[in-house]
Amino acid sequence: MEFFEFYRKDRWPHQFCPGCGLGTIMNTMYKAFNDLKMDINKTVFVSGIGCTGRVPGYINADSVHTTHGRALAFATGIKLARPDLNVIVISGDGDLFAIGGNHIIHAARRNIDIKVIAVNNATYGLTGGQLAPTTPYNMITTTSPYGNREYPFALADLVAAAGANYVARWTTAHPNQLVNSLKQAFTTRGFSFVEVVSQCPVNFGRRNKMGDPVFHLRWIKEHAIPISKVSFDVKTPYEILDLNTKGIYIIGELVRRNRPVYGEALSEEEEESVPME
Amino acid sequence: MLTPGRYFLSGNVATAEAALLAGCRFYAGYPITPSSELMEHMSGRIENEGGVFIQTEDEISAIAAVIGAAMTGTKSMTATSGPGFSLMQENLGYAAMTETPIVIVDVMRGGPSTGQVTVVAQGDVLQARFGSHGDYETIVLAPNSVQELFDLTIKAFNLSIMFRNPVILLSDAELAHMTEKITVPEKIDLVGFNDIEIEGIPKFTPLGIGGKLAITGLTHNEKGYPITTDVQVHRKLVTRIVNKITKNEPIISDVEIINPEADTLIVSYGISSRAAYPVIKKHKDVGLFRPRTLWPFPESKFKEITKNKRIIVVEMNLRGYGLEVERVGRKYGAKDFEYINLIGGEVPKPYQIEEVL
Amino acid sequence: MFPVINTDYCKGCNLCVEVCPKAVFVQGKNITSRGYFSPVVVYKERCTDYSLKKGERILCEICWLTCPEHAIEYEVE
Repeated sequence: MEFFEFYRKDRWPHQFCPGCGLGTIMNTMYKAFNDLKMDINKTVFVSGIGCTGRVPGYINADSVHTTHGRALAFATGIKLARPDLNVIVISGDGDLFAIGGNHIIHAARRNIDIKVIAVNNATYGLTGGQLAPTTPYNMITTTSPYGNREYPFALADLVAAAGANYVARWTTAHPNQLVNSLKQAFTTRGFSFVEVVSQCPVNFGRRNKMGDPVFHLRWIKEHAIPISKVSFDVKTPYEILDLNTKGIYIIGELVRRNRPVYGEALSEEEEESVPME
Repeated sequence: MLTPGRYFLSGNVATAEAALLAGCRFYAGYPITPSSELMEHMSGRIENEGGVFIQTEDEISAIAAVIGAAMTGTKSMTATSGPGFSLMQENLGYAAMTETPIVIVDVMRGGPSTGQVTVVAQGDVLQARFGSHGDYETIVLAPNSVQELFDLTIKAFNLSIMFRNPVILLSDAELAHMTEKITVPEKIDLVGFNDIEIEGIPKFTPLGIGGKLAITGLTHNEKGYPITTDVQVHRKLVTRIVNKITKNEPIISDVEIINPEADTLIVSYGISSRAAYPVIKKHKDVGLFRPRTLWPFPESKFKEITKNKRIIVVEMNLRGYGLEVERVGRKYGAKDFEYINLIGGEVPKPYQIEEVL
Repeated sequence: MFPVINTDYCKGCNLCVEVCPKAVFVQGKNITSRGYFSPVVVYKERCTDYSLKKGERILCEICWLTCPEHAIEYEVE
C-alpha cells in the first residue's frame, strides 16, 4: 500500500506544528501496518481530543474521533459489537490518562483485544501547553509558571500493572524500534499498549528552552535509557517513579505475556455456563 | 424471545424483553436503582439471543460503548436513572452530532443529586431535552403503563433508526416495578437501517465495511473532515440535525386525546396521567391531552384543541413540562393555566385534580 | 540513491539534519514557496554509504521515517 493510500492525500500537509513528533509516529504506523499487510478495511481507528486525536482523521480508513478521554470506552463498544475488526486507539497522554484514566485501567484490566498507541508529550499541546499528569517535576507550563509541583505518572508501568498483555515504551528518536514494537503490538492478542515519548516543541519545548524541534528531540534522546542498561529490577515501581519525576524514560518492551483475553473462552468447561432465565 | 401472547411482567422486565424483540443486540450499562433489574435481566437474555452484554465501570463508558456499538450497525441501548443520566449528557450530544441511533431508558427517581433512591418522580423531563450543550434535539417518549412501556420501547428503536438520533424513554421507579398484564402482538413492525428515506437525513453506513468513514464530534463537512471556523459549514450541519426532528414533528408525535371539546383540559404524561382517567369519566366537561412523545413538543396536535381552554398540568416535579405547555398554549389562545406539582414520591390522585376543577 | 526534499510539504523543522547518521543534510537559508527555510541535501554521495552488510549499499531510511511531513523521497543517481 502506498503512503497516500494509507493517508488521505486531500488533507495533506497536515496541521501539526513543524517538527511535531506526531508526523514521525504517522510514518512508523504506516510502515508497521504495511509490513504486516493488515487489511485497512477491517481496521477502525478511535481517538480522543488533542493533537494526537486528530491523527485518525488523516488515515484513509474508518476513524472515530470521540469525546475527551472516552476513546477506550467507545473502542470497547466497537470491538464487542464487531469482534472481527481490528480496533486501534491513538490518543494523547492527557486524554488517555487524566480524564480517561478510569477507562484505560479498566480496559487493561479486562485485557480486551484493543491496541493503544499513547503519545506522551508531557503536556496538553492542542490547548496551548498546560500541565499534564506526565509533566516532569519543576518544568514550566502555562498552568505552572513557577515550575510543576506535581509528580508524573509512569504510563506504561501503570498499564502493565493493570493487566495488559503487551506494554512497550519508545520515543520518536527511536523510529525503527518503534516500528518493530508496533508490529508486535498489532499481532498480540489482548490489550497491547505502546507509549511513544514525543516532542512538542511549540507548546512545551518553547517554554522550557527547547523551542527548536532539534533541541527537544535531543533532550528526549538523552533522557531515554534502554531497559538493558537499567541496573534495578524494572518491576519495582519506586525507582521508576523517581526517574520519571526527573523526566527520564526507560524505553524498551516492558511486558510480554499471555493472560486470557476478554471474551475468549478460558477452557471448555467455562464455555458451558448457563445464564439465568 | 417472547412469543405472541399475554404475559404478566414488571416494567423493567417488559422493557428488556421489548428491546430484544426490537432487535437490540448490544447492552452496556451501570447499575443504578431503580433500573438495575433491567440490566440484570438483559445480562443473561441478550446472550441467549446472540447479543453482547457488558457492565462498564461507569455511566459515561456505558453510553460511550453503546454509541460505539451503534456505529457498527448494531441496535444498542442502555438504562439508567437521574444521576447516571446527568453523566451521560456529553456523549448524548456526541450521538446527536454524529447522528448515531441509540436508545436510553431513564428510570426516573427523586432528585436532584442522589435524591430519593427508590421513589418515583418525573424530574428529568427537561434534562432529557436540554441536558447537553449546544443545539441538538432528542425524541423523548413517556409511557404510562407496562403495556405502553413495551410498545414504546419498540417504537424508540424504530424512531432512533429512522431519524438517526438518540431517543430517550422516560420510565420511572413506579412503572419499572409494577407488574401488569401485557399483550405481545402477532406482528411487530421494525424499521431497519436505511429502510425509510427522509429528506435531510443521510444514508447510514456502518463501521467496518470499508466505508472509510471520518466520524467526529467537531463541526464537519459532508466528508466528515473537521472544519470549525467556517460559519456556513456549521450552520448547514446544525440546522440540518435540528430540523430533521422539529420539521418532522407531525409524524413523530403521538398523543392520546380524550374529549377534546371539553372546556377544561388535563395535560399529563407518564404515571401522573393515570389519575386523569377517573376524573374524566366522572366529569363530562373535562378532557385529557396525554403526549406519549414529550419532545419534540406535539405542537401540531396541541394547537388544534387548546383555544379558550383552561389547562391543568399534572406532573411529579416542581417545574417541568408545564413551562412548555404554557408557552405553546398561550401562543394558540389557551385561557387559563393551573399546575399540580407533586414531589417527594406522592403519585397524583384523582381527588387532587378534582379539587382544582 | 539519495534523498530529495519536497519543498511543498517541508516545514523547515531540521529534524532530518539532526538524525541523519551521515550528515547528508545541512540547514538551508533559502525560503520555500510556503514560507519555511527548508534544509538542503548537500552530501548526497554519503547516503547509502551506510552498509549493514558488507559490500551491500542500502538506505537506512531514518530521514524518511523521521520527517514529520513526509517530504522526503529517494531518487536514483
